[in-house]
Amino acid sequence: MSRPPDRPEILDSDHLSARTREILTSRLLIPTVQPHTLSLQAYAVLDALLPVLLPLDEILPPGTDIAITARIDSALSGPRDGWRFADLPPDAQAWESALLTLDDVTFEQHGLRFIHLAHDLRGTLLDAVMEGQIGLEREGRLTASQMKRWSGDLRGEVVDCIMSDPRIQQALGISSSLTGGDTVFQGFTQVGSDSREDFEPKATAPLLQMAESSE
Amino acid sequence: MSSSTLMKTFAETDIVDTLIVGSGAGGAPLAAELARNGKTVVVLEAGPAFPATGHTPDEIAARELYWLHERLSAGTNPQAFGGNNSGTGLGGSMLHYGAFMPRMDARDFHLHTETGKGVDWPFGLDELLPYIERVESFIGVSGPAHYPWDPDRRYAYAPPPANSAALKMREGCDALGLRHADGPAALITRDIEQPHFGTRHACANCGACHQGCRNGAKSGTDNTWLPMAVAYGAELRPGCFAHTIERDSSGRVTGVVYRQNGVEHRQKCATLVLAAGAVETPRLLLTNGLANSSGQVGQNYMTHVSTQVWGEFDEDIRPNRGYPSLTITEDMMRPKDADFVGGYLVQSLGMMPATWGQNLARSTTTRGPAFARALAGYNRSAGMGINGECLPRPENRVTLSDEKDAFGIPKPLIEHSYGPNEWAMHHHAARLMTQMWETVGAKDIRVIDRAAHMIGTCRMGADAGSNVVNPVGRSFDIDNLWVSDHSIFPSAAAANPALAIMALSLRTAEAMLRT
Repeated sequence: MSRPPDRPEILDSDHLSARTREILTSRLLIPTVQPHTLSLQAYAVLDALLPVLLPLDEILPPGTDIAITARIDSALSGPRDGWRFADLPPDAQAWESALLTLDDVTFEQHGLRFIHLAHDLRGTLLDAVMEGQIGLEREGRLTASQMKRWSGDLRGEVVDCIMSDPRIQQALGISSSLTGGDTVFQGFTQVGSDSREDFEPKATAPLLQMAESSE
Repeated sequence: MSSSTLMKTFAETDIVDTLIVGSGAGGAPLAAELARNGKTVVVLEAGPAFPATGHTPDEIAARELYWLHERLSAGTNPQAFGGNNSGTGLGGSMLHYGAFMPRMDARDFHLHTETGKGVDWPFGLDELLPYIERVESFIGVSGPAHYPWDPDRRYAYAPPPANSAALKMREGCDALGLRHADGPAALITRDIEQPHFGTRHACANCGACHQGCRNGAKSGTDNTWLPMAVAYGAELRPGCFAHTIERDSSGRVTGVVYRQNGVEHRQKCATLVLAAGAVETPRLLLTNGLANSSGQVGQNYMTHVSTQVWGEFDEDIRPNRGYPSLTITEDMMRPKDADFVGGYLVQSLGMMPATWGQNLARSTTTRGPAFARALAGYNRSAGMGINGECLPRPENRVTLSDEKDAFGIPKPLIEHSYGPNEWAMHHHAARLMTQMWETVGAKDIRVIDRAAHMIGTCRMGADAGSNVVNPVGRSFDIDNLWVSDHSIFPSAAAANPALAIMALSLRTAEAMLRT
């Protein structure tokens, strides 16, 4: 594991329990063995897809890499959330098949692999996936309706990773992890509008700076 | 769970009076009531015993409270499991439930008589009300001094403070002329000494009810019924996955085989109570081929129509803070302009960020910078949501799939599709809540089509031909087998199910004591 240099201030708050601090801190570590679950080809497609789905350059400081691809890849081998759509195969297999389906369709349509495609064309393909227009009727690949289903799982998984990352929480000014420490369980004294407490983070994300400065 | 009492234990060769599978809202009150009346009781719980102080608001890690044995979800409205339904661990789903605790509307017991649709319960509110009041009194429920839809009702605890979403919903109700109140919430707002448990602290407004309450403020079974059961001699056995129900030559239940730490064990019993919920209870019966002469085991699976509408405001809302869903209106229980039968409750919604983001992600196809900006709007977001009647339909059911789980048991397949009534209610509620949010200045209003909770599959009724259990929860086919959970609900009703499950559990315990 390697650690990036940034450490969000919320991790040092006494409104954080030791267990929660440990959980959040573990997300600063980037798995050094990649990929863990997906094939190299599928992993590369996912890595090229994520900035098209959810760019983070207006949220995090320039150059910050929170390794979403690696974390999703690892999470696919870990405990899942207890259910799946009956018309999709088990999660790890569904993700592998979906990403390879996207790569194959890209090649058929453009004569290029997904990772070599221009950013806007990747976006157009992702839109088509979400609208249920892209799929393949062959072994090891997903049909268009399965791809549409999977795109919901993709979106959900990405958001789980993003919103549970302490750097994102710090950048968006989110205090949800700061429910209370171990010796004193503080909770929140203020719960109404426009009443940020001193220990709660202020948003630092560039896209929120204007709103914060008018506070 | 903490208790100063040293727990009594039983040998597997002991024939305990009652063996209960499940330690949540269905199993725990019954365990306490039977033990208090001198019965020997063992409770098998598939999950671990979580110390409350170890709960974490981290939504990914807090999934440890969900039932994580994989379920397959199908139908035209495949339900998202995980949160908002089954739990695991001593305390069951009440470890992660939202503690919103309205009472069932009297009319919902007689929906078929009222409308010609749905199913009547075999009794009315007057039958269940004494048990409801006992539950509320024992576990601790907060609510307003004056409840607009039931002036005689009283709550022992003052409501927690209204958070931003609750205040915004009040404004929306006022603008449209709807009555509103602080809703009944199963949490305490002053420190108490809970009998057989110890100190429970007042709610600290931390907002992480769904991730497990860290100071005992939320009323679960882990800090109420289960310690009481232990105090009266019941044994709680966590980490025990029950899979086989054994019977004698006459067909009566003799015991249950369960797996604990990879080893098979067998507990003998005189009476078995299944309290494993509307998926695992029918799954146990179906895998064992039991109690299904009616053909109704697994049938009539229901949810609640749980449409949400979210909006973004100019103010700093911070929706993670405070009790998440305080404001209620019951004015939509029978709206005059309804094009559906039954009704729905509306509640305000705060939410933790990943759960909120999941809803956003799955209800839109936004991508790119617009998606990032939408997620960045978390701190300015407030929501409202409903729980509404869902009619029983033959195509909605729990069956066994062709896939096996790690124990070699078929995974459950849950088919769930809205019918015309559910869609009509969804659209009615979406229109109403959108209008409320527009009126108070919300922007980027977003409707989320979703269902929550799990209800039905082992219907209770008077007729053995069309029901799995009789009106007190006893199997028609096997006289020492009982069911005590939301699988016995004949109809979904609008209210969140935990209160009725606990009330029915006490009522079933009384019936068992009479036999």
